Amino acid sequence: MQAEMDQILEILHRYPPEKRHSLAILQDLQHHFNYIPREGMEALAEYLGCPLSSLYSMATFYRALSLKPKGRHIIKLCDGTACHIRGSVNLAGGITRLLGIGAGETTEDGLFSLELVNCLGSCALAPVMVVDETYYGKVTLEKLPEILAQYREGAAE
Amino acid sequence: MTITIDGKICSCEKGEKLLAVARRNRIPIPTLCHHESLPGQASCRVCIVEVVQQGRSTVTSACVYPVEEGIQVYTNSDRIRRERGMILALLHKRAPDSRLIADMCRIYGAPELNRVSVSLPGKCILCGLCVRACAELSVGAISTVNRGVTKEIATPYHEPSAVCVGCGSCASVCPTGAIEVTETADTRTIWDKTFPLVRCARCGAPIGTREELDHAARKAGVERETLCEHCRRRSMTDVLAAAYGD
Repeated sequence: MQAEMDQILEILHRYPPEKRHSLAILQDLQHHFNYIPREGMEALAEYLGCPLSSLYSMATFYRALSLKPKGRHIIKLCDGTACHIRGSVNLAGGITRLLGIGAGETTEDGLFSLELVNCLGSCALAPVMVVDETYYGKVTLEKLPEILAQYREGAAE
Repeated sequence: MTITIDGKICSCEKGEKLLAVARRNRIPIPTLCHHESLPGQASCRVCIVEVVQQGRSTVTSACVYPVEEGIQVYTNSDRIRRERGMILALLHKRAPDSRLIADMCRIYGAPELNRVSVSLPGKCILCGLCVRACAELSVGAISTVNRGVTKEIATPYHEPSAVCVGCGSCASVCPTGAIEVTETADTRTIWDKTFPLVRCARCGAPIGTREELDHAARKAGVERETLCEHCRRRSMTDVLAAAYGD
């Protein structure tokens, strides 16, 4: 607990205590913890001398920020028009069967989070899925277990 | 300088807002999110008017439009009636429980929108005036949370706020009465938090929550108020009477 607080304070002190840095600090907290812990929000409000409500507003507004712990690997499944037509809904169902999580949820082991996004701008590759930074195009239900397995093995190393 | 509003020539000063000029000249423009003390919200869009300048016509919000020499303003043209009606109709769908908006829909001839479904019951139109009031007059206990269709006004983590003083500024500026405040003989409950009410030391009338009075005293750097407005005035006249005699 104390270790977490030390890490939070280290991140806060990278920036001067000015309100204009609040988003950058929230992003750093998100990056470090994979989510923004409540202690982090409260410490930041105190550090910047601003109301907790304004930070909460920001943290709930941006999709890139999360108040709940996210998985180590983030699966972004595109559900834009092109991907939707090409069966992204089936893929979402496939991921749910494989990992037991729906959109916006995280596996119990903390390995994967699933997010449905609106368009990744890669419609030629529809249906498209992004895990962390890697794009997978023309994904089929058959390919799913193979793609996800890489990250399982990677985690075991 | 002068501008023309609905054919009436109105004098005004540079930088004044159109709504202020219209109100001074008794030309009615409806508003929801406008508050004299917290101007510039410009989120409800009910105060739209048509501004004609050099032959070009634009629709704009009167509450934030700074007047310019020679403009012609129409507050009730066909276009404005149609667009204002649509805005009110949509606000009515957003806040179906608001009597005020339902009445405005009737008065301003808003169309029935059958293709749009009502998402949630409630009175809130998300104008954000309460958030401004809390941040500027009080402590900043509430804010907008989430975005898009899930946007709402709430306290952090939807829990009773640690900083709220229960002053009720948010509820008093709300145009639609969306914020619930309940008072008993000695408590006030707002945003799921209950505050004890302090009574006037002389007449016993409730004068506010303890936290609210403490907050005001801290801000002003004075002792916490113990008397109600009426008794405060009376005690002052007593002091004056004692000083100057009857």
